Amino acid sequence: MSIPIRKIMVYIDGTEQSITAAQYAICLAASCGAELFVQYVVNTRAVEELLKARIFLHDEQVEYERDMEADAQRYLDYVSGLAARKGVAITKKHSKGSVHKEIVDAIHENEVDLLVIGELSRIGSRRDEFYDESEQAMRGVPCSVLIVKDQERVWNMYESMG
Amino acid sequence: MALLDLVSEEIVKIPLESKDKPDTLRELIQILKDAGEIDDLIAVLKAVREREDKQSTGLERGIAVPHGKTAAISAMKLAIGIAPQGIDFDSLDGKLSKLFFLLLAPPNQSGPHVQALAEIAKLARSQAFCEALVHAENAREVVKLLKGE
Repeated sequence: MSIPIRKIMVYIDGTEQSITAAQYAICLAASCGAELFVQYVVNTRAVEELLKARIFLHDEQVEYERDMEADAQRYLDYVSGLAARKGVAITKKHSKGSVHKEIVDAIHENEVDLLVIGELSRIGSRRDEFYDESEQAMRGVPCSVLIVKDQERVWNMYESMG
Repeated sequence: MALLDLVSEEIVKIPLESKDKPDTLRELIQILKDAGEIDDLIAVLKAVREREDKQSTGLERGIAVPHGKTAAISAMKLAIGIAPQGIDFDSLDGKLSKLFFLLLAPPNQSGPHVQALAEIAKLARSQAFCEALVHAENAREVVKLLKGE
């Protein structure tokens, strides 16, 4: 019988929900012996849209992209530390562009079996303008998707893991 | 965090009372203070003014998107103000601004800040929807419109 989950990818964006997802992914990877990828996407697509809409100035584009690069490094290092505490090795993935497209591409490139993402917005809207990048990725990836909820329970699970 | 997660009746004010740009910025931030979302109004105002001084965030067709990063908050904050009569916000097209989205973020949340601003930018492209917001009667109606109800 083949192993159902050999490669897990967790998408993080610095939100609490995504860090909770990372904790859950660490626990899951440890329990089933799966390889764990941690993906952060610097959303340069959105920055370009803001520049085009003239909400951002050029120096804001530079500033925010620099800050997002720093955030990427910080959050990837943080999750790496969380994983190391539990003896789980991770592969850090860092790209820039359109978030959902980069996630889909990374899933294909690394032949990921399971995408783990943080809880989606609790408030839905029927307006197209309000879109969640994670939700778009969830709809576009070819693999199964796990949405992590219940931050407190996940934290306790992570903390109690040997 | 999606933009809609930041929306509630408490952060919407219609109509705004201010008649000029400096007062409007202060009034938008006061919405957040009155809603208990921020403590340090002065620090937040400083951050927003710093951005505004570089170039007005008054866009075209009556929409303005003042924004800033500040360590005075620990999570993203949104305030929506509507001035049906219009306010001179030094906009790019020279017209009065009627629909204001103030979006603030702490310095370490650039990604979610960019995402939320991009959602506002997309929303602003729908002239009909923006008109509907400007003509809303109260905060509850504004929230319902945003949620697509």
